Amino acid sequence: MADDSASPSPSSASPLQHHRDAIKSSVHNTSASRRREQAVAIGKERREALIRAKRVCQAPISGSDEAEMEEGDMVVDEDKACLEAKTAHAVEELKSALSNQGKGAQKKKIEVLRDLRRLLSQPGLPLVDAAVKAGAVPLIVQYLSFGSSDEQLLEAAWCLTNIAAGEPEETKSLLPALPLLIAHLGEKSSTLVAEQCAWAIGNVAGEGAELRSTLLAQGALRPLARLMFSSKGSTARTAAWAMSNLIKGPDPKAANELINVDGLLNAIIANLEKGEEELATEVAWVVVYLSALSERAIGLIARSSIPQLLIGRLFSSENLQLLIPVLRGLGNLIAADDYMVDSVLIVGNNIIDQALSGLIKCLKSDTRVLRKEAAWALANIVAGSLEHKKLIFASEAMPLLIHLVTSAQFDIRREAAYTLGNLCVVPTGNCELPKIIVEHLVAIVDGGALPGFIHLVRSADVDTAGLGLQFLEMVMRGYPNGQGPKLVEMEDGIEAMERFQFHENELMRNMANGLVDRYFGEDYGLDE
Amino acid sequence: MEVAPETLDTLAGWFAQSLSPDAAARRAAEQSLASAACTPGFALALLGLASSPRHDLQARLAASVYFKNLLRRRWPKPSADGDDACGDHLPPNDCAIIKAHLLQLLLTAPPLIQAQLSEALAAAAASDFPSKWESLLPSIVSSLGTALSAGDVPATNPLLAAAASLFTRFRNTFDNNAIRIDLKYSLDNFAAPLLEVFLSTSRRLQAAAATVTRPESRPVFECLRLCCEIFYSLNSIDLPEFFEDHMREWMTEFRAFLTTSYPPALEADGAPDALRAAVCDNLQLYMEKYEEEFRGYLKEFVEAVWGLLMAPSVSPSRGQLAVTAIRFLTTVAESVHHALFGSPEAMKQICDSVVVPNLRLRDDDEELFEGNWVEYVRHDAEGSDADTLRRAACRLLRGLAANFREQVAALVSAQVQQMLAAYAADRRNNWKEKDAAIYLVISLMQRPGATGGGTPVIDMESFFTSVIVPELQAPDWQSEPMLKATVLRFLKEFKDQIPKATALSLLPSVTMFLTHESNVVHSYAATFIENLLIIKDVVQVPGVNVVTRTPRYVAADINPYAQQIVQNLSKALNIPESYENPYLMKCLMRVLGIANVAGQIVHEITARLVGILMEVCNNPKNPDFNHYLFEALAAVIGRAGEQDPALLPVFEASLFPVLQRILVEDISEFWPYAFQIFAQLVNMSQPPLSQNYMQLFGVLLSSATWDRPPCVPALVRLLRAFLRKIPNELNQEARLPNILLIFRSLLSRSSTEDSAFFMLNTLVENVSFDIMNPHISEIWSALFTRLQTRQAVKFVNSLVVFMSLVVVKYGPAVLVGSVDAIQPNLFITILQRFWIPNLKFIKGALEVKLTSVASTKLICESAALLDVAAAQTWGKMLDSIVALLSRSDQDGAQQEQNDGADADSQRTSGYSVSFVRLQYAGKSEDDLLKEVNDPKQFLVTSLATLSAQSPGRFGPIIEQNVDPANKGALIQLCAAYNTSIV
Repeated sequence: MADDSASPSPSSASPLQHHRDAIKSSVHNTSASRRREQAVAIGKERREALIRAKRVCQAPISGSDEAEMEEGDMVVDEDKACLEAKTAHAVEELKSALSNQGKGAQKKKIEVLRDLRRLLSQPGLPLVDAAVKAGAVPLIVQYLSFGSSDEQLLEAAWCLTNIAAGEPEETKSLLPALPLLIAHLGEKSSTLVAEQCAWAIGNVAGEGAELRSTLLAQGALRPLARLMFSSKGSTARTAAWAMSNLIKGPDPKAANELINVDGLLNAIIANLEKGEEELATEVAWVVVYLSALSERAIGLIARSSIPQLLIGRLFSSENLQLLIPVLRGLGNLIAADDYMVDSVLIVGNNIIDQALSGLIKCLKSDTRVLRKEAAWALANIVAGSLEHKKLIFASEAMPLLIHLVTSAQFDIRREAAYTLGNLCVVPTGNCELPKIIVEHLVAIVDGGALPGFIHLVRSADVDTAGLGLQFLEMVMRGYPNGQGPKLVEMEDGIEAMERFQFHENELMRNMANGLVDRYFGEDYGLDE
Repeated sequence: MEVAPETLDTLAGWFAQSLSPDAAARRAAEQSLASAACTPGFALALLGLASSPRHDLQARLAASVYFKNLLRRRWPKPSADGDDACGDHLPPNDCAIIKAHLLQLLLTAPPLIQAQLSEALAAAAASDFPSKWESLLPSIVSSLGTALSAGDVPATNPLLAAAASLFTRFRNTFDNNAIRIDLKYSLDNFAAPLLEVFLSTSRRLQAAAATVTRPESRPVFECLRLCCEIFYSLNSIDLPEFFEDHMREWMTEFRAFLTTSYPPALEADGAPDALRAAVCDNLQLYMEKYEEEFRGYLKEFVEAVWGLLMAPSVSPSRGQLAVTAIRFLTTVAESVHHALFGSPEAMKQICDSVVVPNLRLRDDDEELFEGNWVEYVRHDAEGSDADTLRRAACRLLRGLAANFREQVAALVSAQVQQMLAAYAADRRNNWKEKDAAIYLVISLMQRPGATGGGTPVIDMESFFTSVIVPELQAPDWQSEPMLKATVLRFLKEFKDQIPKATALSLLPSVTMFLTHESNVVHSYAATFIENLLIIKDVVQVPGVNVVTRTPRYVAADINPYAQQIVQNLSKALNIPESYENPYLMKCLMRVLGIANVAGQIVHEITARLVGILMEVCNNPKNPDFNHYLFEALAAVIGRAGEQDPALLPVFEASLFPVLQRILVEDISEFWPYAFQIFAQLVNMSQPPLSQNYMQLFGVLLSSATWDRPPCVPALVRLLRAFLRKIPNELNQEARLPNILLIFRSLLSRSSTEDSAFFMLNTLVENVSFDIMNPHISEIWSALFTRLQTRQAVKFVNSLVVFMSLVVVKYGPAVLVGSVDAIQPNLFITILQRFWIPNLKFIKGALEVKLTSVASTKLICESAALLDVAAAQTWGKMLDSIVALLSRSDQDGAQQEQNDGADADSQRTSGYSVSFVRLQYAGKSEDDLLKEVNDPKQFLVTSLATLSAQSPGRFGPIIEQNVDPANKGALIQLCAAYNTSIV
């Protein structure tokens, strides 16, 4: 749920199935790996995705002839009304420059575009609205016509980039410009023009699913993908960023189309290898969405060298902007394809040690999203073999997870709880209750995690409460010497379970009542 | 929707008759209704009558209730199992018409009928909304819009109530894509209109808050409360984008409701507090799940809620509000924002102003204690979904203690001392202070061994001796019953830690409290004693790394007190409102089941229990009590009868009349118990059995007796008791064919097939082959016919167990011969298709032993298997035996633990008749193979003997047919028992 609108489960199998069966036969789903939930978006796009969804272009893209900061780029201290008047005037100028013919006309065109672009680049974009209302977009489209000079195209695309970075309605006003913007992405354009157009398209794609599907229908994906192969770092970076906006779904079609583009994996690999963190960050976001949406992509990526590269970055980087997509992409892969745990993260190999220490670093992080994603990835690794469980059990992650399950925020608690729960069980493969790894269970309970799980049982969230109940079931069944029920009782667990005595959810009610009856009910004292 | 007026009149007539005082008329009307209920259009007629203004309101109301129940029962549900449920559904056409009209009819109905129709709507929507009822939500929304623009708040409420009932599903369902699709649909259609209704109604309230009168304000508050309830449902699964975008608007109004004081007359109505409680629920949800988005509002809401808790109020809903408000604060205290409460001042203020005042008993607690003791006990001691204020207050303290352990401990400790001092200063008037102090200690004291959560607040030993014990030994033991109840609850909570000698020394005092006139007090005393007697201690078994759990209190410990306890319990059962007190009866059952009672007291208590049973036969209404009553009887019969067989005639004389009454008067819920008690008596008897028993035996053999499924397990037990005593009686009067007839009918249903096998096994265990011989082929035919359609593991396992029993009892040749008599070579086929593949799934220690020994006998003694042509089958059979024996090693320990608990989980407390095994009526499982000690040894020694007769023959067969892992296990077994297969 870290990026609700954008990260549906890659599989058509609903997580529901795991959950349901799990509750019925108790702890099952703690041991099944869990994919990123829910194809149906309810929540808002999470903030870290929002921040990067649209970007203003303040300075010329690197490599252009323009000086970094020209005189007149900064418009100082004028009041808004005045600026708006200037903007309206600039749009008027655009119009009249179009009809100019003859000598100096070309120069004039560039000048008027540049004037408008400067106004549109004001911090906070206060003038985009005025420009759009004055009818700037259809005019700018005319400046994008084929055969125009690179400089003119560049300025026009820059204007559009910043208009598209504005409010939703302003972004939508770019609709008539899209075919030309896409056309200028192509091989015939100069790199600079293509990059600026990619930026504008990235902003449009960042607006929402509707515009994304328009862009896809108009064929934006393939030229954008080719641009990702560019040897110029900033071009590849901008293209990758725009691409991540374009394929973020929720419709998986774009991601599926992208993975079929020849050379894509090699481009991702090359860019991840290069070392420049900003580029790696954008490429990692592409991996995030591919791995969230496309079953085919998951299989191909998991079997490429990308997991190693991501793990290397996770291990060595301290850059939050990079760590977030790297961790999330890895998490998606681990959850979606058993190959990751069975054949990549093999216990005894260096790679799992790197991955683990990277994850531990994230668990310790102050950044909430890193802690949550790390716990989620761990929960799915721990769903693997007994060796994986042992490795993580013996690692520094254990005390961290116990701490998180008792004191962290709701969603992190829940992920930590899944991990700890998974550490304690070996699935039996059939419909019986899973076997408990007593040593792990004891250490986790004695380490102080039980109150955290009982807290989960009290949760208003039914799934989470179910997870708590499953853990209590394991404690009562598996803690040595029949001490489990007593431990649960001491931590007020009975009271927590009794909350479900008359609960509307039948499975929860039956499970809780069944546990209370079984372990605290009519103990006839005769059967042992 | 048109219904003929005559139809409505007829229907109205029936409903009028159904309320008639004349039983015959009533029954006739009910009959007419029941037969009409199956015809298409009936539901429409009901709905038509319910909403027909020209008919009598009573009849309309009755019709609406009938309609609601009809929809609940017969509205088509997407059946989870795919098949069963579809037979009795309402016709699709009726459903379509109902869906088209129900909402409008509901809106125009008078309030009482509206309530019924609203529930009917919810019942239909539960399966049809939204995908099969697409018009519903848009209609609600458009009617809402109409009501809103007309400024008609009362008209919005039924609409909101209907919407609220549609959306509650989002609170309680597991998160999955299907529910998200429904939620998204609901949000797309309803989130915006909801906000509009909410804001506009809230504005109306604010504008008129000072002047509005009660009748006007009530629907306004109700409307807002419903909006809050819907808010909760729509926000349960995830934080919807729309709500995140409009959080400020919602929160601003929420805050206003919490901080505005409405005119006293409005506050006294309770409606504002009901609204505030709904707000607090929403705050708690946001605090728990969406803390990141909500954190900006946190501080102001903590202050608002806090202010609310400190303000005095006359509202009758304040208690419920306080519970939800404290719950919100608890969530904050346990969250990452706990530092909000971290300062010493804040903590002191919480303790003094929020916790302590709510800890003291309140007037309504006292009323409940006096007026409805059952409810009081449920709330106070058993924990239920409805929190008490006291419990909520203590949970807040515990929540704080999670992060500020020392500070909380110090505060609580000081508080306890202060309360005790207040009590010491004025015992008569300040007993509630002491009560609160004990309550605090119960809630906060850390239990030894707990890993967290509890808080060491006092020195337990000195508290126990100086605070608790004096109350138990006070001469005025009848006074301040609520305090006494809390003291007894303290004992129960800390029963494990009270040293045995101390507990025993307190028993006489507690026993005295059994006769306390307060129902709560004597119930708590009984519960404490009962709980004490089931304590088990973990004991290390010397020499091995194994622990066992043994009872701390055994017969010798409580024998000195037993008579007094039994007598006092007997007295207490005479106290008004405790005639059917399950706590008393459970305690009685426990004491009788553990202590050795003998002499006069046996006669007395048997007579007393029989007297009570006679009484409850008049109107059995309390299944728990009745269950313990029969357990108590079974315990007396079992324990006392075991020691003194001469008591049997006494038991028979007192029990026969009441047991006969149960059978004659057909008190069906007691039949399963009665047969178990009979079985117990038969087990104690010596043949020849008296005439009474032989009559019962006759009853037992009539197939009518077996028609009631809940009785079947009890009847099989009774039959078993008879067969053990008088196996040869079966030869007479065609009794065995009768039994086999019953067997066949039990076998035909999967719900009773267990009993069918139990019956068969009982026969083979107890009846010699010459009696069985004429019938054996009939049995095989029945079993194999059933097997053709039922190949569930459970059935096949039971079959394998039964065939094993035949091998062990009658020998392998009888099994093979009698099966092959049905059809040549049938036995080998059965063996290959069912026995061999299923053997490794057999569960239960006795069953594993039985089937493995029988299988061993087959491969070592049966000519059919030793035939050269059967070599492969022989090898596979051996493979399965080894697999079974090595698997049972692995889960043996686990198995035993579970077996103990399983016996308890069959307890049910429903009102339908069901079979519940009486624990004290004795065990029925016997090891038929006492001569075989160790099935593994039996296997390898049998194999060694066999192979010694033809050396070299079995090695290759094993090599070819036994799985390598199993072969390894076999070799290990041979080594372990020092044998070899040559």
